Amino acid sequence: MSALAQVQDAMLARILDEDLPLLPGWTPRHAAGLAVYRNNYRSALVEALRSTFERTARLVGEDSFERAAAHHVITHPPTSWTLDLAGEGFDATCAQLFAQDPEVAELAWLEWAMHRAFVARDAARLDGAGFAAATASYGDADWAGLRLRFVPGIALRTLRHDVKRLWSDRDAHLLEEVACCIVWREGERPVFQQVPLPEGEALSAMERGASFAEACELLSGLLGEDEAPAAAGAMLARWLAEGLVETLAQ
Amino acid sequence: MTSIAPFHGFGLGLRRTHYADFLEGDVPVDFVEVISENYMVEGGKPLRILEQVRAKHPVILHGVSLSIGSAHGMDHDYLAKLKALIDRIEPLWASDHLCWTHNSAHNSHDLLPLPLTREALEVVCENIDRAQTALGRVMLFENPSSYLTFPEDEMAEWEFLSEMARRTGCYLLLDVNNVHVSAQNHGFSAQDYIAGLPLDRVRQIHLAGHTPGEIVIDTHDREVCGEVWALYAETVARTGPVATMIERDDKIPPLAELLGELDHARALAAQRIAA
Ligand SMILES: [Fe+2]
Repeated sequence: MSALAQVQDAMLARILDEDLPLLPGWTPRHAAGLAVYRNNYRSALVEALRSTFERTARLVGEDSFERAAAHHVITHPPTSWTLDLAGEGFDATCAQLFAQDPEVAELAWLEWAMHRAFVARDAARLDGAGFAAATASYGDADWAGLRLRFVPGIALRTLRHDVKRLWSDRDAHLLEEVACCIVWREGERPVFQQVPLPEGEALSAMERGASFAEACELLSGLLGEDEAPAAAGAMLARWLAEGLVETLAQ
Repeated sequence: MTSIAPFHGFGLGLRRTHYADFLEGDVPVDFVEVISENYMVEGGKPLRILEQVRAKHPVILHGVSLSIGSAHGMDHDYLAKLKALIDRIEPLWASDHLCWTHNSAHNSHDLLPLPLTREALEVVCENIDRAQTALGRVMLFENPSSYLTFPEDEMAEWEFLSEMARRTGCYLLLDVNNVHVSAQNHGFSAQDYIAGLPLDRVRQIHLAGHTPGEIVIDTHDREVCGEVWALYAETVARTGPVATMIERDDKIPPLAELLGELDHARALAAQRIAA
């Protein structure tokens, strides 16, 4: 390894970890300079987390948030060139640090998904009319194999708390049944919606590449054979109307 | 593009708090500088805002993550995204700093100082050559503020920058406040520093405020101080007309206040260049 690479590895290691000994030849003056860099590093990252997870910070309070953010920075030192990704995995950090209050991790997940959707690739939306035109000549086999490509930035997860109240009022209202939260972007604005679990599971399966037929089968298992077909049709119509679908996947 | 023509004008950094001023109003600046990384995104609102600002003003892309000082080399994904942004925005020029930000494992998201050695100079020149080739254009590089120097230093920073510009054909973004901050921190003369630079390679000047103390810190959170104005006046007398801007990143005041500071820069430059 070159001398420069060695100095850089040693210096960065000491920015990340203040307990490492000074480098040979370094004086207390160097230590003071290094402390400025360490402080800049930590405060820039904590600040980035605070701006991404503004609502989570208000939910847990400033001091708790600061500790959680500092913990995240230590356990997840950034690897990407963009500070935009510094909050990656912060919801998992919250799940661990606020194990007694699962709504914290749920809100952190939501803020992260909204943050990512904000700068997701711009894409066209397939609406109901577009879908009807594209599938006008579909036979049974085509329908069975129908797959969708969802809009960039779409994210889903199951939640135990009412996501609307969590977002607007930072109020941890436990749902009677676990639901699913979908995040995507409408125009320039990230949005979210809470849907029943079966719909969330079907969307999640199709988002990972399952066909519409497979999603219908999944719904049959969850809702029963009688209800499933109508539910599947209504669900698909809603996805198209909400702008969740970019295009048919070939 | 192997050369950059001088651009004589006065500009400001585009910050979120002033988006509405720039989108809705008619801001009296000759150019706008943006932090490249904020717009190196896949899509969404930031790019739309930048395109609208670009329709009104020339734009300079100022980066903080190229890391020309990294012994491990630069990030290819970063360069590709910067190239895409350059193609989209057609800036006056793209700039970054004489610094390193990452090693092979982690990113500090800070402008870390380099040992001023012949070895580091080789690495920097090689990285600049690669970046300029990948981007198809020459860039500007800025002198950073620094809070420590290395025992292994073999030359002064101005010698390093001069040699770097000579070898790579890059231009310089001279941050007068950074010269002042580092001069205070390391006990050299700011005047010697400026005198030691190839001033014909300077295409842009940055002005900003700092926080005094045992170690002076480059905080960009207040107005430009008297000593930095004086250094700017001396510098611009020697460079001649040069793009000048004020950087403010924290405790950002209403736009009018920054425009007032910019007027002061205009007045100083006019006075000193005429003399
Ligand atoms: Fe600067």
